[in-house]
Amino acid sequence: MRVVLAEDLYLLREGLVQLLTAHGFTVVAAAETGPELAAALDEHEPDVAIVDVRLPPTNTDEGLRIALAARRRRPGLPVLVLSQHVEQLYARELLEDGSGGVGYLLKDRVLNADQFVDAIRRVAAGGTAMDPDVIAKLLTRAQPNGPVDQLTPRETEVLGLMAEGRSNAAIAQRLYMSEGAVGKHTASIFGKLGLAPSDDDNRRVLAVLAYLNSAR
Amino acid sequence: MSARLRAFAAGLELYALSLFGLLCLIPVLAMFVPGFLLGLVFLVPGPLLAVRRLTGVVRRRTGELTGIEIREPYVPAPPLPQPQADGWYQRDRQLYKRLWWPRLADRIDWVLGDNATWRDLGWLAVSPLAGLLGVLPLALPVAAAIFAPAPSPLLTFLLVAAGAVVGLAVAPQGLRVTARFHRRLLGGSVLRTDVQDVQADHRVRAWVAKASSPVVRLALLLLTSLVAIPVFAATAIALILGYGVGLVFVVPWAQADLRWLADWRRSLAHWSGVSIPSPYRPLLPLVRRPDGMFRVRKSLYKSERWASWTQRLYWVQSDPATWREFVWRGTDPIIGGLIAGVPVALVVYGIWGLILPRIVHLFVSDSPASFWYGTFFGHPGLAIPGGLILAATGVAIAPAALRLHGRWTRLLLQPAGETVLAQRVEQLTLSRADASDAAARELRRIERDLHDGTQARLVALGLRLGAIEQLIDTDPAAAKDLAGQTREAAALALRELREVVRGIHPPVLAERGLADAVRALALDSPLTVTVDIDLPMRLPEPIEAAAYFSLAEALGNAAKHARARKVAVRLDLILGERTGDPDVLRMCVRDDGQGGADPDRGSGLRGLARRLGIFDGTLSLSSPPGGPTELIMELPCVSSSPRTSTSSGKDWFSF
Repeated sequence: MRVVLAEDLYLLREGLVQLLTAHGFTVVAAAETGPELAAALDEHEPDVAIVDVRLPPTNTDEGLRIALAARRRRPGLPVLVLSQHVEQLYARELLEDGSGGVGYLLKDRVLNADQFVDAIRRVAAGGTAMDPDVIAKLLTRAQPNGPVDQLTPRETEVLGLMAEGRSNAAIAQRLYMSEGAVGKHTASIFGKLGLAPSDDDNRRVLAVLAYLNSAR
Repeated sequence: MSARLRAFAAGLELYALSLFGLLCLIPVLAMFVPGFLLGLVFLVPGPLLAVRRLTGVVRRRTGELTGIEIREPYVPAPPLPQPQADGWYQRDRQLYKRLWWPRLADRIDWVLGDNATWRDLGWLAVSPLAGLLGVLPLALPVAAAIFAPAPSPLLTFLLVAAGAVVGLAVAPQGLRVTARFHRRLLGGSVLRTDVQDVQADHRVRAWVAKASSPVVRLALLLLTSLVAIPVFAATAIALILGYGVGLVFVVPWAQADLRWLADWRRSLAHWSGVSIPSPYRPLLPLVRRPDGMFRVRKSLYKSERWASWTQRLYWVQSDPATWREFVWRGTDPIIGGLIAGVPVALVVYGIWGLILPRIVHLFVSDSPASFWYGTFFGHPGLAIPGGLILAATGVAIAPAALRLHGRWTRLLLQPAGETVLAQRVEQLTLSRADASDAAARELRRIERDLHDGTQARLVALGLRLGAIEQLIDTDPAAAKDLAGQTREAAALALRELREVVRGIHPPVLAERGLADAVRALALDSPLTVTVDIDLPMRLPEPIEAAAYFSLAEALGNAAKHARARKVAVRLDLILGERTGDPDVLRMCVRDDGQGGADPDRGSGLRGLARRLGIFDGTLSLSSPPGGPTELIMELPCVSSSPRTSTSSGKDWFSF
């Protein structure tokens, strides 16, 4: 799988290249600055881009903006955004087009290599990977009388894990229930949120969006 | 029919309460005599609180009988004074051994300081009259019996019967008007001349409020000009006594202790769209020389009392603002009085001098008429059109007169350049002290966070890595286990460090600027926060940071203290009139919580004011009990010009 990586800190960039190579990815470009990233995305057309929010030369949200622009040019381009901090605002912007293939994780998650690689593969396959911290912030508030408010506590829990981007199998393992039970819960969630049956992955993204919007 | 009878019954019940209220007013006022004249103030709060019981019943019954709900308007009772560590109670700068006096003083301040108390008394006095509208089926026949022409009993009977029928027919409407009157006086502040608050869909009401508010304001300004007459007289007499006869001790009294009038006028100047800061020079502290003497100019004094008295005299005499104010006291009754008086007189004479008397003439033919009262230059027929024209002219010129009045006030009451500088220096000294204090406190906090958190965690990480190094050959399984723990510890250190960084400078602010940072803040708040931001450009970094942290604190307050559910945040830039550069950043936070926030009591609001003060920012708060609370914070963006009040032009005053 071909990866374009953008990270301005030398140590972290090299560490990520090593980690990715060790797990069978091909890092076709490791950019240090925003313009380099933009050029690399155009040149290599990677299977997934791993991008730090903050990049030189401005050291603001350059990485995020370039990633969003690239996704507008090439809808569905899988992008995993890394940051030292997570903001619901950025998560919302990433998910806004509803086409999936986005991830937003704290840089801390790199420490757990297996989960991190798992998240990259999910994003590359068109799924989502939301940082648990974003989801935790969302869970502290849900608007009364919104559609999400009608979910049972168990369904909210399932939706939270779904929003992180977990598969049914992973959710079942985490919540100690059978995969079939998770399937029933997700079907009920889709029904309550008014999502028509379609491609399951896409619906999961839409459910997450509904979730995000309900907390607005 | 039964609905009308029910309305009549309800009106009777409410009227009985009104009559009882009038009876209650007598002992309450009787208590004021010893309470205020003889100084037995402890007699005052009891009867006033008892009145609240009666008005509470009226509120409840009005709601039950008519469906017009009236909410409690009172400021919440003060908390019980808490003893200090040594068991004494402190109130102001006095210590008390027992609880009763500080508690009583708190209660007196609370009851007398609440405008709702005085509105209650007003209701007691006038509701038997206004309440007549609620008992029209009774009031109209009685009025007919009294005013009917005497000779014919049949005619009288017919009139009384007609009165009863008409009264009964309009009984429900009369009852509603009465209930609304009760709500007016018993349900919160009456005179809220905040035009923006008048609902836009009520076009007539909005028009009346818009047209009458300049006239009402001018009338109040006219009152201040009238008060200036005795104040000027007192000042003039004091100056003659002081410099002519030699009784100099009256001079500081007349000139400094009567400054409240000019202060009052300056505080009202924002009605005219101008802001006038206080012009007086600061009174410098007395300096004691090494030999124990006090020096005031070229004289030395042994006693501190004399020295401070002389210093005060010089302070008053040498301040040019004193003398400008003296001229103002003398001329304002004429010039200010004319500016404010003409529109007010036109409206008052037009309505009460021409229109109303003429209408009364139409019904009561034998009422006395004079050349000017009810007739326009001797022509009764012109009275109503003439009165209308005069009143309309008065209303039309009132806004211009209000602006002119502001200019006149500013002419003599605004500070001279030198004083502005002196005040500015003092203000900057204070805010610099605040700024350096705040910076030192912040550094100390960051140091503590790093020291107790991140540093300690890194030490632990190093120790664990050492342990892994030792174990890796002898016990690889244990080493692997420990490595996992070490990784978790590193994640924890990162998490803590992230919190520290957020406290220093929120990353989203650095990446996105103020607008998005505030949106992120709103998303993270446990409340439902709507954000409305109009910021066409980035602002200087320190301003953005100050604005961000102020808003974060305001939102935190709304969540913590106000028990609010919804908050609306508005940010906009007020551009400079001439330059078009950003002038002031205005942040408005409005919540639907319980209100009653008091900047003098809450340390949070004071801290917020200090934080803004470093940047010459200001804070204004409107938080009536029961809400909503509106907090307006303003931060100047470029220049460091002093600001003394918010430019929003909103004012709340309630009687």
